[in-house]
Amino acid sequence: MQVQSMFFKESASKKLNDAVLQKAMKKAKSKFVDGRAASVATIDNWEDIRTHAAALRDRVIANLDAYLIEFEKNAIRRGSVVHWAETAEEANAIIVEIARKNAVKTVTKSKSMVSEEISLNDALEAAGVKVLETDLGEYILQLAKEPPSHIVAPAVHKSKEQVAALFVAHHHKPLLTDISAMTREAREELRAHFLAADMGISGANFVIAETGTTLTVTNEGNADMVTTIPRIHCVITGIEKVIPTLEDFATLIRLLPRSAIGQSIANYLTLTTGVKQANEQEGPEQMHIVLVDAGRTKLLGDDMQSMLRCIRCGACMNHCPVYQNVGGHAYGWVYPGPMGSVLTPTYVGIENAGDLPNAATFCGECQVVCPVKIPLPDLMRKLREKQFDLHLRPFSERFAIQVWAFFVKRPVLYSFASRMGARLAAWMGGREKLIHKLPGIDGWTDGRDMPAPEGKTFKELYRKKYASRKTNP
Amino acid sequence: MKVGLFVTCLVDLVRPNIGFATLKLLEDAGCEVVFPSEQTCCGQPGYNSGARELSQELARKVLAEFKDCDYVVAPSGSCSGQVKIHYVQDLFRDSPDAVERKEFEKLSAKWFELSDFLVNVLKIKSLPAQFSGNVTYHDSCAGLREIGIKQQPRELLAKTGCTLTEMNDAEKCCGFGGTFSIKLGEISTRMADNKCVNIAVTGADAMVGGDLGCLLNIEGRLRRQGDKKTRVYHFAEVLAGMTDSAM
Amino acid sequence: MSARENILARIRTNSGKQGATTEQELVAARAVITARTRGPLPTFARHEPIAHFIEECDRLKTTLAEVHSLQDVPAEIARYLLVENLEKKLVGWAEFSALNWTGARIEFINRAANANDLVGLTGCFCAIGETGTLLLLGALATPKVTALLPETHICVVKKSRIVPTMEDAFQLMRDEIGEPPRATFFVSGPSRTADIEQTIVIGAHGPYRVHVVLIP
Repeated sequence: MQVQSMFFKESASKKLNDAVLQKAMKKAKSKFVDGRAASVATIDNWEDIRTHAAALRDRVIANLDAYLIEFEKNAIRRGSVVHWAETAEEANAIIVEIARKNAVKTVTKSKSMVSEEISLNDALEAAGVKVLETDLGEYILQLAKEPPSHIVAPAVHKSKEQVAALFVAHHHKPLLTDISAMTREAREELRAHFLAADMGISGANFVIAETGTTLTVTNEGNADMVTTIPRIHCVITGIEKVIPTLEDFATLIRLLPRSAIGQSIANYLTLTTGVKQANEQEGPEQMHIVLVDAGRTKLLGDDMQSMLRCIRCGACMNHCPVYQNVGGHAYGWVYPGPMGSVLTPTYVGIENAGDLPNAATFCGECQVVCPVKIPLPDLMRKLREKQFDLHLRPFSERFAIQVWAFFVKRPVLYSFASRMGARLAAWMGGREKLIHKLPGIDGWTDGRDMPAPEGKTFKELYRKKYASRKTNP
Repeated sequence: MKVGLFVTCLVDLVRPNIGFATLKLLEDAGCEVVFPSEQTCCGQPGYNSGARELSQELARKVLAEFKDCDYVVAPSGSCSGQVKIHYVQDLFRDSPDAVERKEFEKLSAKWFELSDFLVNVLKIKSLPAQFSGNVTYHDSCAGLREIGIKQQPRELLAKTGCTLTEMNDAEKCCGFGGTFSIKLGEISTRMADNKCVNIAVTGADAMVGGDLGCLLNIEGRLRRQGDKKTRVYHFAEVLAGMTDSAM
Repeated sequence: MSARENILARIRTNSGKQGATTEQELVAARAVITARTRGPLPTFARHEPIAHFIEECDRLKTTLAEVHSLQDVPAEIARYLLVENLEKKLVGWAEFSALNWTGARIEFINRAANANDLVGLTGCFCAIGETGTLLLLGALATPKVTALLPETHICVVKKSRIVPTMEDAFQLMRDEIGEPPRATFFVSGPSRTADIEQTIVIGAHGPYRVHVVLIP
């Protein structure tokens, strides 16, 4: 997917004034936030489970090569073909080649964010392969020709009216108003495709080293169709998704659906290991697993390493006050919200990420809800440090920091400057004691007044009041 | 007990009344309060803008200023989080100077946010002032999530006799976020808007909080929307009976 | 160098390790794998798996009925089909072929379900009390599609096979059959989606109804 993150501010501004989106975001916020809270409350040792999960993810990441080699060995032993892709282009080329070799005409696909990263659908379509997204949200977006705005609920930004209109345009059936009827129509529309597809492509929430298993977590059942019915199944996933054992999966699945959507468990946990056996009447004859780097190894040994723990639950964005107000598209790439503000700069380059590391108040909610305890605000701050060191922030901002730094390090000058500043600003506030416009901080005064200072600083008042007192300990 | 007062750069510049309210609360409770006049800023604006070395310099400056105090108290959860958490866990975590690291750990341990200090260190029983009226409390993010300020200010406000009506999403960020409020002003304003709606629903006469940044942000939005009525106070002003001298 | 070697080399270089992955490191990873350390379990999940299973099924909108023996299953299914106004025709797993279906006036066909079948009958390898989950293991006699394609999925669950947690289910699988089969499939209630306006709709691509018949 093309990176548009440089335009975060402009894009966010549009989203703030998009009534349909604002309504959708308000609804989503209450569902996600309240749902998670209620579901987490049923677990008496949530913190222990988080701690255990973070540690198990860290252990894998610290020995990623060994676990990948183990995974590969076991996957091959069970009949899968394991491919490695360094870049998006390589990953696309591998999958296009699998399709070409097997004369694949049609593909059904369950949700994969990695495939969004690398624009897999475009690559397949260019090679003459018809691709159909089968997750309802992804299907809606495919019809709308839009990228997802959320990693778990990709069409969260769409209203049912918009969906109904899309269905009329593409299904050529009467307009529906009821969400269950729309869901049924999509089911019926997609059923035939599930049965007829030559190849199924799925992502993987995790891959298990112990058994060579790939697995998906879904509510709709689409991934089960995709992994069971076509004669070829292709899994595309990031190299960081490996976990050691089935037990580790059991731990992580206690966290994932609860954090994502407040469910105690997802409806379908689909573990797939190898190909159709001699004693089976179903299952793919070929099983391909494409392990993608595409920037992930850059995080190893870096300040950003803990980001590789991420299990893609979306809780950080669901709870982020910035995301809640602007939605996912404003972030300009595949991953929105706090995790996106870390992943986008690290995957596609900090110079292409614009304001993303700054798109946070550091309120800390993301860190509190993250099931694997990723210190997201700290990571975003580290990225700000990189931007500062690389002079990637605007001159005005760097200049302001330099001026501020000059004064705060010099108490006498600082006291003088703040006395002057307090007086000037108090005068500007007038009788109302409110400043309506203050050049240089228009970002503030465009939408808010600035309550004016009292007029004298604490320091000077203190000195006057307690002239006799020693001011230094 | 020698208590150092760190007023914060915002209070010094914009609302000294909060500083004097803090001073009164501490002195009424019997503390010997000292005010190192060289203090400027804890460094957080620079720290959160990516200016790491500069924030280390300022941290050292703060450390030196309060070396001789038994405690340091600040009327801010955000500056307190910077000193108690970020100095030690980030800025000097990997410092090769073990002595200096130790000093920052000591500073972290003796540094308290005002309400936390009044409740958990001084364990004060009574307050100088009564406050009648219906208030609602906004939890500032850093205070809440970095250093656990939640019940302390509420406990203290209850002692003044005021009625506390909790707003929806009291723990939701108001949109201030330091320089965020200027860099991404439009989003920041919308977040403040949401806060203002939740405040209005409570019907409170006053919105009380513990960090001046949030208070300025919320008040600025209330006033711009034409609400001249809802008062916005720091809890120190309410507890010290100094709301009249607040704006 | 292949992509594989490049990626593995980059992992090692960036992690500050020299040379290729050593045998020692692989042994260490395998030791972690074979240790199969369990994570912390929520307190409630450790006890009374059957009671929890019943409770969780209700939450998941899985309906549930209990009968005295396997022989009573056809009668219960007849009752269920009548109540739900469904046709008296089942496609199901071989293990149920010998039951007296004609006595219950149900047409039972032993084969894997296809997209035209409306009701599928399966057993399960075991079930999980903590979450109300069914574990199905695909094989010749236990095709997964039967639990997936029909609009109604009926599953016979032996109470004696309800284990407390997913960890227990995996251990049971290892003890009884070894490695996970190609299709290892956890079902927790009817399929659902909330992709349109976050409104939960039961019945997405999988079944609209999941009905559990509990036997001893």
